[in-house]
Amino acid sequence: MTMRETIHEGEVLGEAALSMEDVARLCGVQVAWVHEHVLAGVLRTAGQGGEWRFDSATLVRARRVARLESDFAADPQLAALAADLMEEVARLRRRLLMLEDGEAGH
Amino acid sequence: MDFKDYYQVLGVAPDATEDDIRKAYRQLARKYHPDVSKEPGAAARMAEVNEANTVLSDPEKRAAYDQLASQPQAHAGGGFQPPPNWDAGWEFSGEGVSEEAYSDFFEQLFGRAARHRAGGARAAQGRAGPLRGEDHYARVELDLLDAYRGAERTIALQSGRLDEQGHLRREERHLQVRIPKGVREGQHIRLAGQGNPGLNGGPAGDLLLEVVFRPDPRWRAEGRDVYQRMPLAAWEAALGGPAEVATPAGTVEVQVPARSGAGRKLRLKGRGIPSSPPGDLYLELEVVVPPPITDAQRAAYEALRDSYPGFDVRRAGSGA
Repeated sequence: MTMRETIHEGEVLGEAALSMEDVARLCGVQVAWVHEHVLAGVLRTAGQGGEWRFDSATLVRARRVARLESDFAADPQLAALAADLMEEVARLRRRLLMLEDGEAGH
Repeated sequence: MDFKDYYQVLGVAPDATEDDIRKAYRQLARKYHPDVSKEPGAAARMAEVNEANTVLSDPEKRAAYDQLASQPQAHAGGGFQPPPNWDAGWEFSGEGVSEEAYSDFFEQLFGRAARHRAGGARAAQGRAGPLRGEDHYARVELDLLDAYRGAERTIALQSGRLDEQGHLRREERHLQVRIPKGVREGQHIRLAGQGNPGLNGGPAGDLLLEVVFRPDPRWRAEGRDVYQRMPLAAWEAALGGPAEVATPAGTVEVQVPARSGAGRKLRLKGRGIPSSPPGDLYLELEVVVPPPITDAQRAAYEALRDSYPGFDVRRAGSGA
């Protein structure tokens, strides 16, 4: 690329940056779905105050749960359980990668 | 564009029941789910399977598709174009998340292109108000060092546009995005108005980038905090003292406490991801026992052994 393109400055979404409507829109679900999943303890709200807000990590999780529910017609708690396990596996894989590297280095 | 055989993609017969389709889809979804699949090309295969399921699991779309598939030109190979106004009388609702990479075939028949047509038609009849464009959602993979220094990335975005003849034109846009320093995994960067254009004068959607870190054997992040292995020679672990270590925050000198065993962590406050507040950096100590190669080294190990009479390593554990 010879031409210098515009560089877009993104806005990093801070804690509690998302409303219930934002989460619903970005997951392709109804607002009621988000509401139910908060009440069921599947999704965490962030911050204090009257209106529910959500942080970025919750959006990633909500998209995953919504996906599992629609793909497998899964019960919300079962989808949440699968999401928990996926998050845990990702964490463990990162740790394992470092440990295996340590083994190889000796 | 090629005609897509959705029944073949799901591995079901053309007269499959809804239940057959559901079962076949779930089995494939489990096999190719990007979060768990180890199959090569799983993401691309999953996109195909999703597309086939989107059409075949919706009675209206399936009926329209079957009607198209029954035309001889559908299987002639090569350039398939649906007959003009083939979808007149069908009412497809555009639902679902739109970040899937749908094929041109799907886009032309059921996707954004079809919705644009429908939106245009409804607008012509004066029934549709302004519609906000859909949001784009993409992942951007960074190295942990990018979070320490900031980075620039080029994001490729697919979007569809209809030309005057109503044919779908695929466009790939490239956006240069500045990634500010201090981002953490799972955070999102929003670029307002960079999603799909709106309909009937509605505003454009946004582009949301989800930050993920490329796996790295040297270090890992957990939220704001960063963890790194720090190998120590056996005598450094035993005697302690100053030691230099290269970290994502630059080379630092740390004081290793005497009698540091493996598994111990040293915390460097504020040397994690430079967000506000910054995270901490944890050095996970491990002890390296170099093999004796020269006679002098062998003698040194023997002297070490002799200076520990009665030391029972199996009983003493790691001695930490």
